[in-house]
Amino acid sequence: MTIGFAVNGVACNVGDERRDEKLIDFLHEDLNLTGTKLCCGIAICRACTVSLKKPPNRDATPILACSTPLWMVNGAKVTTIEGVAPGDSLAPIQDAFLKDFSFQCGYCTPGFVMAAQILLDHLASAPRKPVDLDAQIESALGGHICRCTGYVRYFEAVKSTAEIILRGKS
Amino acid sequence: MDLENITGPIARRTFLRTATGLIAATIVSPGAVQAKERSNDSKAGRPGVAPHLIDARKKVTGAKFYARDFYARDVKGWPKEQWYALYLCATTTRRPFLDVNMSGLPSDAMPAKVILGNNLTASIRAPALRYTRDFMVEQTSLAHIQREAALTLGGRFSSPIGADLLVKPGATPTFLGQGVALLLFSTLAAYRAARRAMQFRDDDFQVYGPDNGGAPGAPVPYSPQTQYVKYFRDGENFSYATRDDNAYKQSAPTYRAKIIDYLKSHEGELFRQPVTLDTQAMDPMFMEPETGLSWHNKDAQRLELLLGTQSPDGDIATISSMFGATDSPIKLTEIRLTNCPPGGAFGGRDASPFTLLLALVAPFAEGHPVRLMHDRFDQFRLGLKRPGAKMTGAITVGSDMSLQCVQMTMNFNGGGLKNLSPYVANLAALAVGGAYAIPMASIDAQSMQSQDIPGGSQRGFGGPEAFFAIETALDDIAAAKSWDPLALRRANLAQSTTATVVGGQFNQELRLNEILDKTEAHPLWAQRANLKAEFAARGETYGTGFALSAQAYGTSADGVVAAIHFDKNGSITIRTDAVDFGNGSSTTLSVVVGPILGVNAQAVVAGDYTLFGQTGLAASYTPDWDNPLSTAKGVGSSSACLTGFHQVHVVQETARAFMQSAILPAARLLWNRPHVAYEDVAWVEGRLSAKRGDLEPLTHARLAQAIYSHGLPSGVLGHAFFQGGWVSGSYAIAGSPITLELDGLTLYSSADGGRNRIDRTKTGKPLASALRSSRTVWAPCANIVGLVVDRSTGTVRIENVASILNAGHVHVPELVSGQSQGGVAMAIGYTLLEDMPDGLAGPASGAWNLNRYHVPRMADVPHRSRYKRGHRAQELITLPETPQDSGRGRGIAEAVMCSIAPAISNALRDALGVRYSSLPITPAKILSGLQQ
Repeated sequence: MTIGFAVNGVACNVGDERRDEKLIDFLHEDLNLTGTKLCCGIAICRACTVSLKKPPNRDATPILACSTPLWMVNGAKVTTIEGVAPGDSLAPIQDAFLKDFSFQCGYCTPGFVMAAQILLDHLASAPRKPVDLDAQIESALGGHICRCTGYVRYFEAVKSTAEIILRGKS
Repeated sequence: MDLENITGPIARRTFLRTATGLIAATIVSPGAVQAKERSNDSKAGRPGVAPHLIDARKKVTGAKFYARDFYARDVKGWPKEQWYALYLCATTTRRPFLDVNMSGLPSDAMPAKVILGNNLTASIRAPALRYTRDFMVEQTSLAHIQREAALTLGGRFSSPIGADLLVKPGATPTFLGQGVALLLFSTLAAYRAARRAMQFRDDDFQVYGPDNGGAPGAPVPYSPQTQYVKYFRDGENFSYATRDDNAYKQSAPTYRAKIIDYLKSHEGELFRQPVTLDTQAMDPMFMEPETGLSWHNKDAQRLELLLGTQSPDGDIATISSMFGATDSPIKLTEIRLTNCPPGGAFGGRDASPFTLLLALVAPFAEGHPVRLMHDRFDQFRLGLKRPGAKMTGAITVGSDMSLQCVQMTMNFNGGGLKNLSPYVANLAALAVGGAYAIPMASIDAQSMQSQDIPGGSQRGFGGPEAFFAIETALDDIAAAKSWDPLALRRANLAQSTTATVVGGQFNQELRLNEILDKTEAHPLWAQRANLKAEFAARGETYGTGFALSAQAYGTSADGVVAAIHFDKNGSITIRTDAVDFGNGSSTTLSVVVGPILGVNAQAVVAGDYTLFGQTGLAASYTPDWDNPLSTAKGVGSSSACLTGFHQVHVVQETARAFMQSAILPAARLLWNRPHVAYEDVAWVEGRLSAKRGDLEPLTHARLAQAIYSHGLPSGVLGHAFFQGGWVSGSYAIAGSPITLELDGLTLYSSADGGRNRIDRTKTGKPLASALRSSRTVWAPCANIVGLVVDRSTGTVRIENVASILNAGHVHVPELVSGQSQGGVAMAIGYTLLEDMPDGLAGPASGAWNLNRYHVPRMADVPHRSRYKRGHRAQELITLPETPQDSGRGRGIAEAVMCSIAPAISNALRDALGVRYSSLPITPAKILSGLQQ
C-alpha cells in the first residue's frame, strides 16, 4: 500500500511504512522544497503552513506541515510556497508583502503567504462585506507568529489586497 | 539549488595568529545577492529610495536562503553523505556526570559515535574567547582584558569561556543544559529514531553520581563589573569620565560616602523613592532554530561551516583558538564560514555557543559533513537569553522637582557561559540615569555566573531593564508629590552638554523637549481623562502611561569599514562588515549611495569582516593618530543599531571618495574638461551631467568603460572610526587633497584589483574624552500607552501606543517604522507575556516550547498605524530632521522598545493604582496586586 498525493502538481507516492513521517520532513528531505519553514514543530507558530485540497472539500485549507503525518495527505493536493505562483511571477499577496516591507527576517513569510492566499481565494469565491474584513484577516492570520515586524505591515498588505479583490467582485 | 549559485565571490582571506601558527579565515556570504528591482515597481531605480528589502523576493518565494534550508548535498564540493549531531544536555548541577547509557535506545537509533568530555583536549573543551569586538571599549575593560590576556594564549586578548562545552566524566556540570555527550549519527533515520526515543527522557540516558551539593561558594560575577560614581556638586565634578582609571578607582569610595552624607544631611529637603524591580529572562524566540553544517576537510586541513551568525568575526576567532591551541589534535590551516542570513536574531546569535558546538562536531565525523539542527525545544534549552535582572536602589529628588541622585544595584543573571552579559550590565548602568540631568549617581552593575542558561545580548542591551527602573520610579515620585509626570521629567531633561551618570556629555542633540511637546499634544495623552471616562462608562478599566528613554547605540569607540566596487557595466556592489539579519542594513546601505553615485547599489555583501585586513591599518588601544596606518579599532559590534549612523557614514564617505577618485576623473576624460570639479556636476535622471548643461550626460556604463580603459580605480575601500566624532583625514586623490571623515582609504585597481593605499594626512583626531564617556550617540524616544485591564481576570489589552522618536535623518521610512512596530510587539511580550523560570522549572528542562512560552500574536498588538479614537493603533511619530543631524540617521532598532515596559507599568498604575514592578506583569500578578 502506498500513500499518494500531489505537491505543487507533482505526484508523490511513499510506502505505508512512512505514514507517520511529518509532511515538512518529506518536503525538505525528499523534495528539497525548503520554503516551508520549521519553527516550533508543535503546530503553534504556523510558520509551516501549506495549503491542502482534499476531496470532498473543494476549498483549500491551511494545514501545519510540522504536525501533519503523511497518511493524512493521502489523496490530497498540497501547495507549498514554491507553488503559489508559476515561474518567476509573484502572486498578488507576495507582491504586496514585498512592496509593503511586511517582513524583515522573512522566516515566517511563507506561512503568512499561504494563509493569506487561502483567505484571498475564499474571499474571491465568497465575497464578504468590507466591514467584516478585519475580522476575517484576524481569523485567518491571527495565529501566525512574526517576531520581527509586529504584524502591522502584514495586516495592511493583506487588507489592501483583499480590498482589491472585493472591489472587483462588487 | 547549488549553494554556489547564491553565493557571491569568495571573500578575501584574512589570517589569525594562533599558538600553533596562522589559520586562514574566509567568509563566504550568501548575502551577496542581487537587489533585483522589478520593472513594474514604481520606485525601482530611484536613487536613494528602496523599493523593497534586498532579498525580499527570495523570502517571499521560499527560495533557499537560511542555514536551515541547506544540506550537504546543496554545497558544491562537499561530500553528499551527511551525518547528524545531537548533544545530550546536563539535567543537574549537583551530581557528577559519570557516563551515558545507550541501552535504552532501539537498535535502529544507535549513534555511530559517542563523544564525551574526556575525548576532548582542554582547549577544545573550554575554548578561549577572543576579544575582537565591542568588548574593549573602555579603559577599565582594556585593563581587564590585558590582565586576562597575560594568562591565556600568550597575550592574544582572550579569556576562558567559563565552562566546558562538554563535561568530563566525573565532573559536576556547572550549568543546566551544559553538554555532557555528543552523539553522531550516520543516517537520518537513526538520528530521528534516537530523537524520538530520547526526547523528554534525559535521565534515562545519562548516568550521574550522588548529590554533592554542586559548586561551592557564592556566585561569582563575570568580569568586568561596572561601577559609576558621579558627584557633580559643590564645584566638584568627580565621575568615571572625568578621572583616569586609577584616580577614579582610588576616589570612588570617598565620593560614594560623600553622596550618602549629602543625602543624609539634606534628608528633610529631599524625597527618596525606593526602587525594587525584577525582570525575567527572555528568549529571543527568533523564528529559525539555530542550524548549521560543519565539515572537516582533513586533506585540506580546513574546517568549513555553514550557519547564520551575527558574529562571524568573533566566532571564527574563537574557533581558531580551539583548534590552534598547542594541545589540539586537529590541525587546521583554514576556517571557512558561509554565513547565511539568520531567520531572526535580536542578539541571540551574537557570540552564540551554537557556533562552537557546531565546530566541535565535524572532526569526529570521519570526513562527513555534519548537520546540527536545534528543534525549538533545544533552542529554548540552549539558546542565549536576555539575562534576568534584579534592581534595587532609589531615586532622590528635591522639592523643586530637580533630580538629585540615582542609586542602583543591578544584578544580571549571566548563566553558565561567559557571553556579552557583563557588557549588557555595563550599558544598563549608563541607561539607568535615563534622559536626565542628575548630579549624583552611585550605580553598580554586574552579571553573575550561575547555573542557568547563558545570558547574552538581546535587543535593548540592558536598556529595557534600566528604563523600566527609572521611568517607573519617576511616575511614583510624581504620584507621591502630586506632580504632573511630564512636568517632573521636563524639569530635568538632559541637553547635549549635560553629563550622563558616567560623567561625559551626551554630546548630541537630543530634542527631548520637543518629544514632550508632541506627547502633551497627542490625543492619547491630552484626552486621557476623557478616554478613561469613556471606558469606565462601558464598565472597562482604562489607564494611560508614559515613559521616555534615550537609548545609546554603538559603543564609545566604533570602527566600521566598507568597500565600493564598480563593475565593467557600471553596476555597484557594496561590501560591508555590517552583519544583517533582516536585510534592513543591506537595503539601507544599498540606497544611501544613490544620491552620491547616481544609482543605488545593485548588490550588498554583508558580514565581510575580512575587509579591515585589506585596509593596511593597524588597530591599537593607544593609536598614534599621526601615523597614517594607525587606528583605534578595526570593526566592532554587529548590532543593527550601527546601521543608520555608523555604517551609513562609512559607505557614504567611501562613495564620495569613489566619486572623486574615479567617476569624476572618468568624466573629465570623456568630456575633455580636465578642470571640471565636483561642485560642477550633478546626477540627472541617472546620468552624470554638468550643472551648466553644456556637456553630454554620461551613463554609468559609459563611465565604467572609461574607468576600465584608462586604468582608473574600479573601487574604493574606506575605514572610519567614531569616538565622540569621526576621525578625518586629508587624502591625495586624483592629484588633489580631499578631506574625508575616514581614517583609512584604499583604491582598487581596475586592471588587476590590486590595492593602492592613500596615506592619511592632517588627521582630525577623535574626541579623547569620549573614550571614558561610555556612549555619545542616542536615539531618544517616548511612548504613550493606553490599555484596558480586566479586573476580574487580570488580562491586559494594549489599546494604543504612540511612539515619538528622534531618528535623525530617516533613510528608509518603511524600515524605521517596521523596526518600531517590531520593537513595540516584542516589548509587549516582554512586559506582559513572555516568562521563563530559572532552573529546571524553565526551559533548561528541555520541555519548553511555544505552548509554554507565549509571544505576542496579532491580537496582542494594535495593528493599525495611525491613531484614531475608538480604534487600536500603534503610531510612530518621527521628529523632522534638523541641520544638526547633517543628513545622518540614528540607530533606532532598540530605541522604541526601551520605554514600552515602563509605559505599560505606568498605565497600569494609572488604571489600578498599583505599581507592578516585576516583569512580566502576568494576570496572576495583576490580581495579586489588586488584592493587596
